[in-house]
Amino acid sequence: MRAEELKGHLDAVLLAALEGGPRHGYAVIEALRQSTDGRLDLPTGTIYPALRRLEQAGLIAGTWSVVGGRRRREYRLTPAGIRALSGRRAAWRDFSATVTAALESATRVNTALENAALEDTACPSPNPA
Amino acid sequence: MPESEPRLIRGYLQVLAAQLPGPIVEELTDGLTETYRSYRTRGLPADAAAEAAVEEFGSAQEILAGFVRVNPARQAARRLLGLGPVVGGCWVAALVTSRVWPGPEPARVVLGLVLVACIGLTFVAALGRRYRVAVYSGIAGCAGFAALDASLIVGTLLVAGRASGLTALAIAVSSARIALCARAAVAAQQNT
Repeated sequence: MRAEELKGHLDAVLLAALEGGPRHGYAVIEALRQSTDGRLDLPTGTIYPALRRLEQAGLIAGTWSVVGGRRRREYRLTPAGIRALSGRRAAWRDFSATVTAALESATRVNTALENAALEDTACPSPNPA
Repeated sequence: MPESEPRLIRGYLQVLAAQLPGPIVEELTDGLTETYRSYRTRGLPADAAAEAAVEEFGSAQEILAGFVRVNPARQAARRLLGLGPVVGGCWVAALVTSRVWPGPEPARVVLGLVLVACIGLTFVAALGRRYRVAVYSGIAGCAGFAALDASLIVGTLLVAGRASGLTALAIAVSSARIALCARAAVAAQQNT
């Protein structure tokens, strides 16, 4: 899945990746790859601005540490972030259930129409004339 | 990133460092280094690992554009541009109805020039594609608007002696803009 297909859901996905505990940017990407069996393939660099945006919104909080001589910024969910993730999850379940129902219902209707057309071809109705 | 690591990665980080503040570059350096090391661990030679890491990270332009979009100075500038007509409208209504003009004519001309300069700086911060330019013009615009509002409030109170009706409303919205400018300037400064 590419970044543009994820548009509108990136924030929720990033919040979910931080649900297990504090992570730095690369660890967030790794967590997303593992949780989606590698199907989520984002350019690694693009998640850093998204993490900043979430931090500015107060949904995550960043702290600096030093690892191997390099400064590293780790992020954790704030209470507001936990609430936002819960809300996004509920909204996604509703959305997903609605779209799945609509798509599967459309499939059932199409199948029924195809079956009716096949029956008409096999047994043409008597000509009233 | 240590000197021993490939020139491609150092060059890539230099492009980012030319535009972005130090703390952001440090965070990106850590991420890119981790990406590079993961490829090295998988057995790629240094140059191939560097190429793969840079490719996985995305283009420098893409990353710069992402940070420009979340720049606090840019967001503050957009809020100031939205608030500008409200503050301006309140002051025009207050000054026209009360017929109180703060200060002598040369001072009012200076205030007008400062206003035009502030609007220009704020537009640059709101629409600019360069991170640092947006930060510096945003801070300058905030300082200018705060000074302008303070001058209007003090000048009007000195001339009129008291504020009533529309003038009180204009002073209230100007005070709110001063507070917004102060918060925005601090947030922008933290990102330089």
